[in-house]
Amino acid sequence: MAATVATPVTPTELDSDRCGSEEESRGTEAEDSSQPQTGLPAAVSHSRLSKLPLARIKALMKTDPDVSLASQESVFIIAKATELFVEMIAKDALVYAQQGKRKTLQRKDLDNAIEAIDEFAFLEGTLD
Amino acid sequence: MAERPEDLNLPNAVITRIIKEALPDGVNVSKEARRAISQAASVFVLYATSCANNFAMKAKRKTLNAGDVLAAMEEMEFQRFLEPLRAALAVYQKGQKGKKEVSEQKRREKEKKSGREEEEEERMEEEQENEVEEEEEEEEVEN
Repeated sequence: MAATVATPVTPTELDSDRCGSEEESRGTEAEDSSQPQTGLPAAVSHSRLSKLPLARIKALMKTDPDVSLASQESVFIIAKATELFVEMIAKDALVYAQQGKRKTLQRKDLDNAIEAIDEFAFLEGTLD
Repeated sequence: MAERPEDLNLPNAVITRIIKEALPDGVNVSKEARRAISQAASVFVLYATSCANNFAMKAKRKTLNAGDVLAAMEEMEFQRFLEPLRAALAVYQKGQKGKKEVSEQKRREKEKKSGREEEEEERMEEEQENEVEEEEEEEEVEN
């Protein structure tokens, strides 16, 4: 039987000539059972599991010149990890807002969290 | 042309939703804070990718895989992510398997259907020929 059907781990090629041609997926589109090489419909159907659009995550990963191929699973895991990261940094920043008796999270709360928390050290000097 | 990291932001609406769901009700987030978090998230993706890629290269693999990403999380000191990530991965893999079965089944049905259609076409052609010859109406046996 011809193996044209989707395989669980399809390496998605990260070449630059496909950049910018991918659509955003927001998790509301219908499932497409075919899985082409770009993995785009697959990304759509699994964005219920991941809130962040896998296509955008993949495009970001592509900008690294050392990265050649990435499995669909790896793109998904990075998307999920990013979600967890956002949750974490928001919560950690909130502590500083509360210290300042504020109910609104502000940029300085983020800065404080980044400075104070070891895991966020990689962010120093990277934000506008 | 390759897109530059600066050009790629994660969708604001999604970032906002993730933030809101993580924080208690009644807490607001300023636009600047939201923007900074979104930027931080992009940096996170790049950092995680680079880290994961190192593991792939060490293993002499050209394709980054889920294991590389998990190893990267540990290296980046985000061990707390490992458990939820493994759980999400398991669900994702099950979903992938299900989709594969669904598309295989659809293909099988398609092949069956086109086989049946060919039979019907042949039968109809025969009947038409008979009509022309005998000028009689024959019942169509459709099943």
